[in-house]
Amino acid sequence: MTIRRVLIFAPTLLILFLVYSYFWVPTYEQQTRGNPDRLNEYIAASIGDASILNPILSADSASSDINSMVFEGLIDRDEELRFRGRLATSWEIYEEAFFYVNEGATIPGIGRAGAQKVAALIQRAKAGQFPANPELRASLDNISDISTISAGEFLVTRYEKKKQEDKEPEEVKIRVSAPARIKLVLNSVDQDLFENLSHILGKDYFSGFNGQAYLSVDDERWEEKRAAYADEILPATEHNPNVMFHLRPNVKFHDGHVFDSKDVKFTFEAIMNPKNLSPRIADYEPVKRVEVVDSLTVRIVYKRLYSPALGTWGMGILPEHLLNDEALKKEAVMLGKDIEKFAMRQSSFNRHPVGCGPFVFQEWKSDQYIILDRFGDYWEGPANYKQYTYRIVPDLLTQEMEFYAGTIDSYNVQPHQVERLRGDPKYQNFSGPSFGYTYIGYNMRREPFNDPRVRRALSMAIDVDKIIKYILYGQGERITGPFVKQTDYYNHGIKPVPYDPEGALKLLEEAGWRRDKEGWLEKDGKRFQFTLITNSGNDLRKAILAIAQDAWKQIGIDVRTDLLEWSVFIQERVDKADFDALILGWRMGIEPDLYQIWHSSQTNPYQLNFVGFKNRKADDLIIKIRQEYDHEGQAAFCHRLHEIIAREQPYTFLYVTKWTAVLDKRIVIQETDFQGNPVYKKITPTKTGNFTFYFNKWIKLPEMPSFSPEG
Amino acid sequence: MLSFIGRSVIQKIITLFFVSIVSFLIIHLAPGKPSQVDPLNPKFTPEIVERFRKEFHLDKPLYVQYVYFYRDLFTGKTVSWKDNQSVLGKIWERFLNSLPLFIVGTIITWTLSFPIGIRSAIFRGRFYDRSATFFSYLLISIPGFFFAYILIILVVTRFHVPVIGMETFGLGDASGLRLVMDRVWHLLIPSVLGATGGIAILSRYVRSQMLEVEGQDYIRTARAKGVPEEQVHYRHALRNALLPFVTMFGLILPGLIGGSVIIESIFSWPGIGRMAYEAILARDYPIILTVNFISAVLVLAGTFVSDLLYLVVDPRIRL
Amino acid sequence: MKRRSNMQEFRQLLRQNRLAMTGLVIFLLFFCIALTGLVLTTGTNPTFDPAIVRLQEKLRPPLSEPNIETLRPEEVPGLGMYLFGTDDLGRDVFARMLQGAWVSLTVGFVAVGISVLIGILMGGISGYFGQNHVRVDQVLASIVLLLGGALLVLGARSLGVGLLIIGHLYIFFSAWSKRIWRGRPIPRWMRGFYKDAVSIDTLIMRFVDIMLCFPSFFLILTVVALLPASMYNIMIVIGLTSWMGATRFVRAEFLSLREQDFVTAARALGVSDFRIIFRHMIPNAMAPVLVSATIGIATAILTEAGLSFLGFGVPPPHATWGGILSDGKRFIFDAPWLTFAPGIAILIVVLSFNLFGEGLRDILNPKLRERS
Repeated sequence: MTIRRVLIFAPTLLILFLVYSYFWVPTYEQQTRGNPDRLNEYIAASIGDASILNPILSADSASSDINSMVFEGLIDRDEELRFRGRLATSWEIYEEAFFYVNEGATIPGIGRAGAQKVAALIQRAKAGQFPANPELRASLDNISDISTISAGEFLVTRYEKKKQEDKEPEEVKIRVSAPARIKLVLNSVDQDLFENLSHILGKDYFSGFNGQAYLSVDDERWEEKRAAYADEILPATEHNPNVMFHLRPNVKFHDGHVFDSKDVKFTFEAIMNPKNLSPRIADYEPVKRVEVVDSLTVRIVYKRLYSPALGTWGMGILPEHLLNDEALKKEAVMLGKDIEKFAMRQSSFNRHPVGCGPFVFQEWKSDQYIILDRFGDYWEGPANYKQYTYRIVPDLLTQEMEFYAGTIDSYNVQPHQVERLRGDPKYQNFSGPSFGYTYIGYNMRREPFNDPRVRRALSMAIDVDKIIKYILYGQGERITGPFVKQTDYYNHGIKPVPYDPEGALKLLEEAGWRRDKEGWLEKDGKRFQFTLITNSGNDLRKAILAIAQDAWKQIGIDVRTDLLEWSVFIQERVDKADFDALILGWRMGIEPDLYQIWHSSQTNPYQLNFVGFKNRKADDLIIKIRQEYDHEGQAAFCHRLHEIIAREQPYTFLYVTKWTAVLDKRIVIQETDFQGNPVYKKITPTKTGNFTFYFNKWIKLPEMPSFSPEG
Repeated sequence: MLSFIGRSVIQKIITLFFVSIVSFLIIHLAPGKPSQVDPLNPKFTPEIVERFRKEFHLDKPLYVQYVYFYRDLFTGKTVSWKDNQSVLGKIWERFLNSLPLFIVGTIITWTLSFPIGIRSAIFRGRFYDRSATFFSYLLISIPGFFFAYILIILVVTRFHVPVIGMETFGLGDASGLRLVMDRVWHLLIPSVLGATGGIAILSRYVRSQMLEVEGQDYIRTARAKGVPEEQVHYRHALRNALLPFVTMFGLILPGLIGGSVIIESIFSWPGIGRMAYEAILARDYPIILTVNFISAVLVLAGTFVSDLLYLVVDPRIRL
Repeated sequence: MKRRSNMQEFRQLLRQNRLAMTGLVIFLLFFCIALTGLVLTTGTNPTFDPAIVRLQEKLRPPLSEPNIETLRPEEVPGLGMYLFGTDDLGRDVFARMLQGAWVSLTVGFVAVGISVLIGILMGGISGYFGQNHVRVDQVLASIVLLLGGALLVLGARSLGVGLLIIGHLYIFFSAWSKRIWRGRPIPRWMRGFYKDAVSIDTLIMRFVDIMLCFPSFFLILTVVALLPASMYNIMIVIGLTSWMGATRFVRAEFLSLREQDFVTAARALGVSDFRIIFRHMIPNAMAPVLVSATIGIATAILTEAGLSFLGFGVPPPHATWGGILSDGKRFIFDAPWLTFAPGIAILIVVLSFNLFGEGLRDILNPKLRERS
């Protein structure tokens, strides 16, 4: 019977054929032995795909992983987290300070004075003709040049909406007749300059300046805004920190075009261009302007004191010649799109980026891989690996399987996997503290979390060491405050809150909570009851949810828990501050700017101080920190702020996780010594929050090499 | 015939219209906003969020958004919110990836189900039948991802070969045949996993069809005439039992774009299912809606084709 | 008399079909376990507390003895040992499985309950009253009302309200219309409105078609992902997306039952529609629904597991088997029992439901019955 035979043979043949393919697939060992080129390729795994390969537009971590290899910034951080020049060889920071001459004020000793007189006065003070306290002395010595800007008249136009609903903003003309102004050039940034100068010029010299008197608004209806305009257009004093970058000569983009200061200016302007919808616009908002001094010098002028600003220049620099208006117009015409609407976001550049980083973009298959080749003309010398592949494997367990099968060189290894692979002779592993911490935040607007004793008691009831030991397998460290632990900003003198349920009960008793018959804590007939929430999809947070619930139950607190989907969690609960307590994490930048998360002005809905932390002293310190340019001074302020926050316990600071990594042992650092012979070193973790700091020098060898002695 | 076609096409278009409304409403009335507009990103100021909303027409009333969306869809201008890529282009790319999985899976399903189903019908109630029943139900009763993990772990730890993804990475320039076979190997496990449910259901169906036909009078007549047993089963019964399966070809059509979310995520197969899943996570509405729309079109086209096939194949039906 | 013999025959057939019998036994056993589980894991001080975290006892293998010294008395597991081991937080997997049994069962039953109810309702209406027609004016009025409502929801206030008012006015008008047109012939231009437009049957079946256009798992996933996570949402969504099969079955049964003698007789006797449907037709139409419901419960449990895998399952504090399984997969090398215990449990239960359903189908299918 043919039908019968076909029915039996067809499936048998099919299965045989499919299974036969097994013999063609290389095993772990065969992959490197059968194909020596495999040693020159590095394959990294990632959970998610990149979305947009343009450093000024991307906001997700996968995109920035790739962007950091394709693009290069002016500066970055070295292994000790100090700034290091990349596209910039060096930079200096100085300040230009301005103040309007307050003709109405009486200056001690000389009375009312015009610009010339005031300038002469400061000149004399600088020369040491007046007695001065040490702070004033230091401020005066810091001044390198004094000049006056004569009075002038000009017209300013502003666009205003009377009401939110109004479509078209109205034009408001403001006539300004500015008084004379004095410009001071300082060798270094000095946030106390004007405070100190008021010792000579009189206490109210700056605060008494009435800007409103110098401007008039042409339309009556906007009269009410005059004070606001005066503050904006005629501020009594102004700090303009300047950063002068000296760029590296002869650096090339991947297409051979030479990098120069125009590219820096262009990158800045692209970020600020509202058409581009750049998520980084807030970082660069304090920048007043970027000036091209010459082809290798750029001057960045800031509107005000903002010390974290220097770090933002680690942003990858875009090639102006590929993305300027002309280029975009050409592309729009080619694609037949509307020229008016065509912005950088629509450009195909975002899928074929060109930068001047160590790797050249080759190919991107969505949700499969992104391939980069090394850049032969890289200014620091080409990388050792010929190719870098970024593979997207969305499942952690299958990432691990692919790692065992040898088709991935590194993956997002979990602490328990590190624990298991620790003894394996095939692999090496590292870990080090990362920049993010996990915390339980309490809504301080609500009872009973407005009592610091209660918050402290809640912290004391949780055994964080146990969490680190058992949940993180030791891949974490305790943290007591909001700064990155491996920086100087972190105050190591502060002891973590001890695990002490008895002590917690005592504290709660002080606050008025007593156990009732069933063992629950009670105050004024109300049971201590609240809901702890976190977002779904994070196993660690889910575990902490269960642990905290259990720990608090033991001291008699009735805790409900809830897991919410991320966007609901954020929009319905966090943004509207509608929660009792929540578990979340912050990823911190190295810069110690805590304004958005801890300043009392940021407690409104949709802002990041959603726990409602308000502390006058802390506010003060936060402002001082972001205005201080001196590292030591900044660190001292940070230590004090850290103390306040640790005392207040608006969060239960849990831990900072360590990043973990497992690599084949044959991957090493290869350098050449002065004779040109290769020298091999073991890969070691750096403070930078990852182990890939020296990635450009890595290579996989056929055999384990003998290592050169350390040092 | 023509009037039947005309009527059913009109009917399907009306259905499609309602499907488009329902799916649009489901997505837009759900809580939560697209993540591109994620306000928790500290770098997103309220103005930026507002600008994004404007860019995506999210500030308009819903019915305007509806019109905008389907206008863009039909002119092929819809772009994903996540990366500004053309949605149709993305779907086409993923479709090409899902296709081999679908084809191999379907072939496995159809070639295996028939022999199994026919044999269990012939040996109805005997050991073979009962164990086939048992095993086919076993296959559809295992949680898919559990089964997948067990298979993957078995293969990787026992044979040390890669199974994830569409191909082995870092093969370099191996010979063409080798690359092809490598791809075949990567197809094997996911398509077998995808086919298990199909095999179980289809073989049951084949069995019951065979049993139904074998109970008919003409089969008894054939037996009574002394036609050999084998011929009765494979010639007379099978032919008539096949009839309903012809129409099933039409019903496979939606599978083209369905793709299994779970299997594609586990095997990091860049297919349509996974793209849709990621779009759901990122609340990339254009992609979700377009995939939904296309699959509705395919379902309707599938039923249409199967109706037509029925008309052609079954002489008893005349319109 | 007839009913008893039916039952006896049913039992006889069930006994013959050993697979179905095993399925039924496991099914009942599972039911008992779930009930006991509910009793043993709830309350203030349950015998098996699935929520106790004992970090120092994490990932202990099955059947291992607890480390009594390090535990407080209330932390000692129920049986004096970890029957199925402990999970990554040191919770007793056995206790969690017990609790999960009830939750999984609830999810399955409620979801299928919803879908069967909708199915009977829609199928019943379309099978029994299907031949009745909706008039053009009624269709127009409901379209106007629907459109008005939709526009109101979507944001076009004035237009929506206007349409709603027009719709309601028409309803008032038609309520009075009989009196207005009494005796007089209806003008010709109006006659078009009073024609029959579509049958109820067509309407319902088109709605079924619309629902079938959505790929079911994808639809469930979308809705569950967009809605806030909760057990009830998942049950309702699964229920609301799987009633189409039941509707079709019930409709088909009703259509054939309508024509049968006992229904005609009942109607001739003047029995009310309501009574005919509930006394005579539904009991007779239940067989295929029952089969599809049994299999539906199995599918619902699997669907929940699939959703759990993708991170959209039943959220804590409820443990489901699917949830335990997908939580445990991270530790599949370190603690295989975390995956295998729930995995195999799901497998057995779903298998028993399926086999029982299949057996039922065989038994209830008269065509196949004759020959055996």
